[in-house]
Formats: sequence, structure tokens, C-alpha cells
Amino acid sequence: MNLEETIRILYDAGVEFVVIGGVAMGLQGSAHLTKDIDFCYARTPKNIERLAKALEPYHPVLRGAPPDLPFRFDAKTIANGLNFTLSTGLGDLDFLGEVSGLGSFQDVLGESDVRNVGGVDCRVLSLEGLIKSKVAAGRPRDLYVLPELRGLNELKKKTGLD
Amino acid sequence: MDSYSMTRDQEKAVLDLVTNPLPGSELAKAKEFGVDLTLFISTLRRSPSERAQSLSDGARIFEIAKQAQIVRK
Repeated sequence: MNLEETIRILYDAGVEFVVIGGVAMGLQGSAHLTKDIDFCYARTPKNIERLAKALEPYHPVLRGAPPDLPFRFDAKTIANGLNFTLSTGLGDLDFLGEVSGLGSFQDVLGESDVRNVGGVDCRVLSLEGLIKSKVAAGRPRDLYVLPELRGLNELKKKTGLD
Repeated sequence: MDSYSMTRDQEKAVLDLVTNPLPGSELAKAKEFGVDLTLFISTLRRSPSERAQSLSDGARIFEIAKQAQIVRK
């Protein structure tokens, strides 16, 4: 995974996205590590076109699917689906149209902060947003990180850290 | 890399809170749960770009461990 490069590629292509999941946790100051990058993306036709075009050079395939399964990550496929877990030349990337506990892209955007990553101002899910989404997802691995997220959120509020 | 440093007061406040979390606070609950709060001292000192670099480095370690597991099998 090359986080800065991936964000730069999406940004340069004009894709509207919010970084969510484990990477958002890390960018907000958690010590959590992850091997994939999760994004929430806008489901507008223009954004779907941009996303498909941006990833095309990196040959996205469905992660874990048989190699002979026909799949093209094009605008039509994205429009007909919602959430995609991909293996790409940039690493494992997940694109979600909705986030549990938050809703669609606009709702997620409203729960995001701007963070400068490698010279790019990008949207990253806030700690409050991460906590809401983890509570709603409710899987053991989501609940496991809640104490750290709540502690970090409290620490940043008490110290005035952004 | 963009600079992203805590003020001296913020450093002190972070250090105080992670080493002596107030009873009943979220930090105290996290510590009780097993979270190493002292890691926040280093993560919060880093800029988002530096955090991104750490995340990429961490993912590479995952990948190396995965490859080693495949070779062993």
C-alpha cells in the first residue's frame, strides 16, 4: 500500500472521496495499523466515471475472487454496485458507497476533517465519525478499537489538538 | 513533509493525561482495556503526512509477514 500515492492519484483525477476505516484512524493519530485503504466515494455519475478512469491503469480486480472471474471496474459496474473490495497495483483498496452508522457520501463528508497528506488536502473521517461507524458496524474488530478511539478523541479535545 | 508540532503546553498536557488519566475518563477506560496510551505521544507529534508514511510502512510489514507465511506453507 502506498497511501500518499493513492490519495494523490484520486485527487488528481478529481475523485470525490473521504478516507475512512483503519487509515482514517491512523491519520487521526491512532496507533492502529492496517493493510488496506478504505474510501467512501460520491455516487454521482461524474464521480463514478472519474473513479473508474483513475484506477484503470492499476488493473483493479475483486479481492479474493477466482482469477478467471470476468470483472471490469468500469462506470457501469460501479453504478450497478455499491461497495467494492479491490486488489490493485496500488494495493488493496475498498470503495464504499455508504458507511454504517453514518449513511451516504454526503453524510460521511459532513463527519470529515481536512488533512494534508503528502501535499494534498483530503477529507478524512473524524474521530467522532469513526466512533459512530464502529459502534454501528458492531463487529468484534470494530468494538475492539472503540476504547482507543474514545480515549484519543478525549485527549485531542482536552488538549486542543486538531 | 509538512510541519505539525505540538506546542510545549500541549506536549505537557498530553504527557500528563496519558501517564495519569483521570479516573472514569475515556483515557482511563482505554488504559484499563489494554491500550498503550503512551503511543499517542509519538503519533500526535507526527504530521498527517508522517502518519501516512507510518501506515504505508506498517502495511509493507504486513505484506512481508504474509509472504513469509506463504513460503513456509
